[in-house]
Amino acid sequence: MGEAFTLLGFGPEGWGHALLTAGLTTLAVSACAFACGLVLGTLCAWAKIAGPPVLRRAADIYGVVLRGIPDLLVIYLFYFGGRQIVTAIANQFGHTGPVEISGFVAGSLAIGLISGAAQAEVLRGAFHAIPPGTLEAARVTGMRRWTMFRRIIAPQALRTALPGLGNQWQSVIKESALVSVTGLVETLRAVSVAANSTELPFLFFLAGGAIYLAITTVSGLVFRIAEWRAMRGQPAMRVGG
Amino acid sequence: MNPTTVRTPTTVRLANIHKSFGRQEVLRGIDLEARDGDVISIIGSSGSGKSTLLRCIPFLEIPDQGEVTVGDETIVLTGAGHRFSRAERQKIRRLRGQIGFVFQSFNLWPHMTALQNVMEVPLHVQGRPRAECREEAEAMLAKVGLADKRDAWPAHLSGGQQQRVAIARALASRPRALLFDEPTSALDPELVGEVLRVIRALAEEGRTMLIVTHEMAFAREVSSHAIYLHEGRIEEAGPPQQVFLDPVSERCRRFVRGQAGPVD
Amino acid sequence: MDLAFIAEVFPKLLAGLPLTLSLAVLSLSGGAILALLLSGLRASSWLGAQFANFYVYIFRGTPLLIQIFLIYYGLAQFPALRHSLLWPLLREPYVCAVLALMLNDAAYTSEILRGGLRAVSSGAIEAAKVAGMSRPTMLRRIVLPLAFRQALPAYGAEVTSMVKATSLASVVTLMEVTGLARAEVSQSYRAIEVFLCAAVIYLVLVTVITRLVHWLEARLSTHRSPALDRSPA
Repeated sequence: MGEAFTLLGFGPEGWGHALLTAGLTTLAVSACAFACGLVLGTLCAWAKIAGPPVLRRAADIYGVVLRGIPDLLVIYLFYFGGRQIVTAIANQFGHTGPVEISGFVAGSLAIGLISGAAQAEVLRGAFHAIPPGTLEAARVTGMRRWTMFRRIIAPQALRTALPGLGNQWQSVIKESALVSVTGLVETLRAVSVAANSTELPFLFFLAGGAIYLAITTVSGLVFRIAEWRAMRGQPAMRVGG
Repeated sequence: MNPTTVRTPTTVRLANIHKSFGRQEVLRGIDLEARDGDVISIIGSSGSGKSTLLRCIPFLEIPDQGEVTVGDETIVLTGAGHRFSRAERQKIRRLRGQIGFVFQSFNLWPHMTALQNVMEVPLHVQGRPRAECREEAEAMLAKVGLADKRDAWPAHLSGGQQQRVAIARALASRPRALLFDEPTSALDPELVGEVLRVIRALAEEGRTMLIVTHEMAFAREVSSHAIYLHEGRIEEAGPPQQVFLDPVSERCRRFVRGQAGPVD
Repeated sequence: MDLAFIAEVFPKLLAGLPLTLSLAVLSLSGGAILALLLSGLRASSWLGAQFANFYVYIFRGTPLLIQIFLIYYGLAQFPALRHSLLWPLLREPYVCAVLALMLNDAAYTSEILRGGLRAVSSGAIEAAKVAGMSRPTMLRRIVLPLAFRQALPAYGAEVTSMVKATSLASVVTLMEVTGLARAEVSQSYRAIEVFLCAAVIYLVLVTVITRLVHWLEARLSTHRSPALDRSPA
C-alpha cells in the first residue's frame, strides 16, 4: 500500500506530476472538442429548424452518419487520414517522407464532430420546447430577428438544453480517452506508460479510472449547480408529463 | 342497513375503520354494511374521506384500525404500520378477487386491447379456461355496448368508452360486489351519460354496489341506501329519499342543496 | 478514389464482421442479464440499491477503453490470479473484451430499465392489485411488458452504441472490422480509403439495427395514439 502511495505521489519516484499534467491534457482536449461540437451543433440545429432544404438535408445526413460510425474510427480517419492528406500535400512541394500531425488537433476535431451531431439534437429539442407564445409576444413588439434570438430564444433554449449539454460534456470526456491512440499523452496514455514501466497495470489503470471519475463527478456537480441557478423562478418541470 | 324482513347475506362490511395520513385523520371510525343486492351511494364534499373509505375495502389504502369483510374473508387491523403475514397477504388477494373496482381514471392496461383487458383477470389470475374467458369477456363488452371495440387499444377510445371497458373488466372476474370510485369525474360532460346508463343497468340487475359519486340526481335514483360523509365520519345515513330530500343533519341538507343547485 | 483498391479491401474487412457481431451479441445478452440482476438488487434492499447505484456510477463515469485495459492488462498484476484456473480464460483478449463490454452495457441498460419501470403508471399497477394479482403475475403481465415498451427506444440506442463500442476490442489485438482496417492501413498507408470502407460497414449495420428497432417499436406501440395519449390524465 505504501509503495502505491509513493508511486502515485509527487515525489521523485512518483508519477503524480505526469498524471496531473495528463489529467489537464484530458480536460484541454475535452474542452476544445466540446467547443467544436457546440459550434457545429448550433449550426446544424439552426439548419434543421430554419435552414434552406439543402442544408437541412446535409445536417440530417451528418447526424445519421456520425451516429452510425464508431468513435474510434472517426479518430483514426482524422488522425491517419489527416496525416495522409498533409503528407500528400507536402510531397507536392518537394518534402519527402511522412509528415506528423498533432494528435491534439486531430483528436479534438474528431470528437467535436461526433459530439456536434448529438449537441444538434439537444439544441433542436430545446428550441422546440420554447412556448411558441413567448416568440409571438416578441414578434408583436417588432423585435428584430437577431435581438429575438439573443434576448428571447437563446436564454430559454439554453436553460432547457443544459441537462442535455451536461450529458454531452460527460460523453466528450470519456471519448477523449480514445485520443490516446494518436500518442497524445492524455490520462489514458499516461497511465498506460506508467503501467508498462512499473509493471503495475492494475494500480495505474485504476488510478486513471479515478482521474476520469473525478473529472466527470466534479463537472456533473458544476452542471447540476448551473441547472439549479438557471431554473430559479421557473415553473417546476414535470417529468414525463 | 336493510330494514326488510328477509335478511340477505352480508357482502361487504366495514367495522370501526380508522385511517390517518400523517397527522391528518381522514377516517374516524366508519361502520358500514352492504347486503346482497344493496346499492349504496357515498356522498360528501371533497376531503370528506369518501374515496379513501372505498379504497380501504380492497386495501389500496390500508386502514390503521378496524375490520374489513368481503364475502367470507375478514381482515382485522390493530394499528398503523401493520405488517401483514404471508397468510394475511393471501387473504387480501382472495378478498380482492371478490370485488370489482372501477377507478376514476379508468386505469386500463395500455398495452392490451379492450378484450385483452377484460380477459386478463379471469384468464391469468383466476385460471379459467381460455374459451370460456373469451366468451364471457365478449358478453361483458356487449353488455356495456362496446362489442365492436373489442380489438381497440385503450388510447384509441374516448374516456366514456374506456370507463365502460373498465366496468366490463370489473364484471369479468364475477365479483360479489362492485365498487365505483367517482366513475364519471374524469369525463367530459357529454360522456357522463353513457357511463351512468351502464351503471344504472347493473343496479337494476340487482348487483351489490358501492358508489362514490358527485352525481346527486343519479345517486338518488339508483341507490337503495345513501351515506353522507363529513370529516371522516358518517353524518347521515338512510334511504335516498331521506338523505337527499329530507336529511336530519343540517350540514347534509346544505351539501345536498348546494350540489343539486346550478351545478346540475 | 481507387475503386480497384476499395474492391480489394472491402471483402478483407468484411471478414471481421462475424467477430464484431459475436462480440456485440454476447456482451449485449450478458449485459441484459446483469442489468436485470442489478434491478432486482436495487429493489431488494437499501444496501442492494446503494451497490447498484455505485456500480452504475463507476461504469458510467469512466471511459470504456480504460475498463477494457483494466481487465486485459490490469488483472495480470495479481500473481494469484495468474496461477489460478481462470487464467487461461482471462488471458484471452476476446474474453476480456466481452467481459468489459458486458459490465459496461449492464450499467447503461439498468438505467434504461429503471426509466422504463418508473414510467409504468401507478393506475395500471393499482388496477392489477385490486384484481388480486400476485406480485409475480403483476410483474410478468403488467409491469415488465409496459416497462419494456417504454424503454425500447432508449434500448435501441444502447444496442447500436454497443455495436460501435466493439471497435474498441481492436485495441486489445482482436481482429474484428476495425482491427483488420488498422492492420490494412499499416500495410498500405491508405488510411482514408480503408477507414471509410470500415465506416460503411458499421453504418450499414447500425442502420439495419435501427430499422429493426423501429419496426419492433411500431409493432408494440400500436396501443399508443399521439392524439389521445394524454387525454385521460
